Amino acid sequence: MRWGMVINLAKCMRCHACVAACRIEHFLPLHITWVKLIAYEVDEQGAVDVSTYPVRCNQCADAPCVHACPTEASHQREDGIVVIDHDKCIGCRYCVIACPYQNRTFVSKDKDPGYFPGYEKTRFEKMGEKLYPHQRGTTEKCNFCAERIDDGTSRGLQPGIDRDATPACVNTCQARALTFGDLEDPESNVSRLIRDRKGFQLRTEYATDPSVWYIDYRLGGAPSNKAPREAQTGSHIQHLSTVDRDAFRRIYGREPEEAEVKS
Amino acid sequence: MTKVQTRRQWITTHEWMVKPMRQTEWIAGKGLMVWLAEVFSALGMGTYLVGLIGGIWGINAWTFWATVAGWLMIMLFKFPLHLFYLGKPLRFWRAFPPFSKAWKTSWMARGVVFTTIFVGFGFLQIVFWAILYYGSPGSAATALTALSWITGIIAGVFMVLTGAYCGFAMSYCKGLQFWNTGLLPFVFVFMGLADGLALSMGVNLITGGEESVITTLEWASRIFLIANALLIAGYLAWAYHKHSTAELAAQDLIKGSQKWVFWGLLVILGIITPLVISFATMAMSSNTEGLLIVAIICHTIGAFALKYSVLKVGIYRSVLPKVA
Repeated sequence: MRWGMVINLAKCMRCHACVAACRIEHFLPLHITWVKLIAYEVDEQGAVDVSTYPVRCNQCADAPCVHACPTEASHQREDGIVVIDHDKCIGCRYCVIACPYQNRTFVSKDKDPGYFPGYEKTRFEKMGEKLYPHQRGTTEKCNFCAERIDDGTSRGLQPGIDRDATPACVNTCQARALTFGDLEDPESNVSRLIRDRKGFQLRTEYATDPSVWYIDYRLGGAPSNKAPREAQTGSHIQHLSTVDRDAFRRIYGREPEEAEVKS
Repeated sequence: MTKVQTRRQWITTHEWMVKPMRQTEWIAGKGLMVWLAEVFSALGMGTYLVGLIGGIWGINAWTFWATVAGWLMIMLFKFPLHLFYLGKPLRFWRAFPPFSKAWKTSWMARGVVFTTIFVGFGFLQIVFWAILYYGSPGSAATALTALSWITGIIAGVFMVLTGAYCGFAMSYCKGLQFWNTGLLPFVFVFMGLADGLALSMGVNLITGGEESVITTLEWASRIFLIANALLIAGYLAWAYHKHSTAELAAQDLIKGSQKWVFWGLLVILGIITPLVISFATMAMSSNTEGLLIVAIICHTIGAFALKYSVLKVGIYRSVLPKVA
């Protein structure tokens, strides 16, 4: 058994719900983001479009971070998930450097001012400290919600099928762009998607064999690779639009031209 | 971070994944400790080894204090700096066998093992040499000499490994193309030996300054400096041909943000100046001490500059191939 995720890039509408779900599920400190959403512009012959890549720890089969860890704090479970034992981590940050996908974060005291610096901690923060304590001075990353998987499977549930045994980001994705399942089962939902939709992994030249696959976005920039406009949300269209005059002045320190502001 | 642009307003949640970005963990903020620790690792290695090898021709004050200086650089600087850098320094013991078997795969864990073995055997060798040179071993002299060389050889081998493991640890990082080469440990070891030659010249000056020893060390220093210059040139040529990100790092070094460190501190002060002084002193029969001290200082600045610039231009390949 090897848990894996398939991300349909055409369906992703960059709503950031997966990022928020992960943050809430694990009570992440402000400066830490396990699930990341990369949005970047593609400008082809004047036709500007935005493409999105949701990324998280790839749970590589041959994980450089596991090999690099000097204390075996980073280790791979039998189901392929790479987890960190925070009681063993010494905070050398070698894994942060060794991860070619840059998906690890050091929990730094200096970078963590809290959600509202100078104010009392929120109930969310206080609850998080009890339920999901993050040890400062150690390294963190996505763990495919291993605690949900463990809890679910112990109750006979099937990850990827039953919500209670499935990662929070997958449950939350309103566009159903994320699919979770067993990569070693040829008939699983993820295996079928990878096979039928020509799935690909990021940076295969590193030979790490990631467990996160992507579909419906050929690398190479052909026009068909873009997420269709109709799949983009209203909020996204707003992102592509313009800002108001006040915001423009604050950001650029000058008066905007007409085309640069909202009508 | 949220980036706001007019007309093309969009969210860049993590721009380091979209374009090549520098690593900062080992060179910015607290990461400067890693840089300093690795510099002292190289300096300690070079000084200890030169002292140890010098001892083959006879243990004297110079060889003894060179090994002591090298050993102290590891114990007083490298070890504490690495320790204070850790997020959880009190757990450092977890990296040691038998608490961890990570040495099988992790260069960091191997480094901990190498350094510990060096520190142990190096200490014994220094104690034996101290008895042999400053004490009165009497009939135990032969046995002590044998023991000192057994411990010295073991310490020497692990000292080389201690100086080299940082290069191996860095070259293991697949995402950092400029580091991802087997050449890196050789660059670090050669530069460390050259710097060790310079520092042991300093030790020799302090302990009496035998002219013949200085001349020999200068000869060795010339060879190592030229070898270093060629090695660094070869490294950069390799970087230019390997991959666009490695080329980007090499460009950053040669004509980018690190050009002053690279050309000014490493090439001119660290290599050319000591080399020129070394050749100049060949023609001079006396009063070379001042020049030697300048050369030693320049050499040491070069050691700091080399590790700083290499760590500084550790640039990640972007995660997304299309926009790399």
